[in-house]
Amino acid sequence: MSTLKSDITAGAVALPLDSFPVVGQRTLLKQALEEMTRRAIGIACVVSDTDGAFLGVFTDGDLRRMLLRNQKPLPALLTDDVIMHANRGCTTVKPEDSLVSAVKIMEDKAIWDLPVVSNGRLVGLLHLHPAIKHVLGT
Amino acid sequence: MNTKKITVGYEGVRPVVIGGDGPLVYIGGPCAIESRDHSFMLAERIGKICAKLDMPWVFKACYDKDCRSSPDSFHGTGLDEGLKILQDVRREFGVPVTSDFSDPSWGAATGEVVDLIQVPAYLCRQTSILRAAAGTKRPVHLKKGQFMSPWNMKNSVRKLEAFGCDSVLLTDRGTFFGYNMLVNDFRCFPIMAETGYPVCFDGTHSIQLPTSMGNISGGQREYIPHLVRAAAACGINALFMECHEDPPNALSDANTVLDIQYLERILSQAKAMHETRLELLAKWGIDNVHAEV
Repeated sequence: MSTLKSDITAGAVALPLDSFPVVGQRTLLKQALEEMTRRAIGIACVVSDTDGAFLGVFTDGDLRRMLLRNQKPLPALLTDDVIMHANRGCTTVKPEDSLVSAVKIMEDKAIWDLPVVSNGRLVGLLHLHPAIKHVLGT
Repeated sequence: MNTKKITVGYEGVRPVVIGGDGPLVYIGGPCAIESRDHSFMLAERIGKICAKLDMPWVFKACYDKDCRSSPDSFHGTGLDEGLKILQDVRREFGVPVTSDFSDPSWGAATGEVVDLIQVPAYLCRQTSILRAAAGTKRPVHLKKGQFMSPWNMKNSVRKLEAFGCDSVLLTDRGTFFGYNMLVNDFRCFPIMAETGYPVCFDGTHSIQLPTSMGNISGGQREYIPHLVRAAAACGINALFMECHEDPPNALSDANTVLDIQYLERILSQAKAMHETRLELLAKWGIDNVHAEV
């Protein structure tokens, strides 16, 4: 039986920046969706075009909700800047936060991903699958 | 409209600021440069009207009309002579000048003279033209192609930005409605303004009936006043209208240019509409009527 590991930090388990979708704020929505598909991850982290600061996320859930309320022609929607539809108030964790507390947040909010942010800058993405593996020590 | 302000005019002329909540700017003149004397005559007459109305303006005339339907149509004075005339107009009248250009190799020379460089609507997505326009370091007047959606103009704007341009004016001159017909979708002004740049209405090309007369374009200029009033009420930063003292004998766009005898009354109404819109927005706030979801 696996042992629960409580001393691992979120930063230690987070996916590195080059392994998940990170897009500039003025990336067209169509291009952001392509990047999410290419990475096979249902979340794109949005950063500032000017200073690289973390601004928010755009997720598969955001896409579904947007499609249900959208009244624009699809070509117009796909031409929107991704920041127009991003969740700018999303939950984040710090790299030094414990993995166990981060997974608890995921459970409470029923989400699969948590951006890891340090001093306003994106440093990684905590993805549920590897997080659970580490928590369980498997 | 919360748009950027772009400044048109380098040394030697009165600079014109387009954008934000500033005054409505007029861009006009003959479609094509017909001669030095003709350009001077129109510049003087337009200048007097705009001075009377206290309306900032930019003189527009093209030296090469490369999009004519017929090889027999007047093509223009050509690059060298045309630019010399434009240079003389800006010196004589102290007014910023503008012309379009249809070949990337003309960009540098055109940019040395004009204060605002215009990208023709038919060429609005041509990378080589946009690169050349940005390379002049002048503000770029980018006309929406008749085949383009307003939201797709962002791609052309982004190209200009990628080539180093941060000063753009976006204009609607109508959208193809089947064959030989244009319509104006005034939603295009707020949509194109989402780029952050000021927007303009082309009141004379919008009433064009493209190539409806066999090998030249027709036009229904009787609708110019209606469309101009509507555009100014909708929200524009600049108004473009070509004018001529003798439209039937104009060497270019004879079926669409506005008779200059009507310029003052049209500009007066556009200016009043523009100022009324600003007053209404100041009183009632911005046009945010989104449903809360």
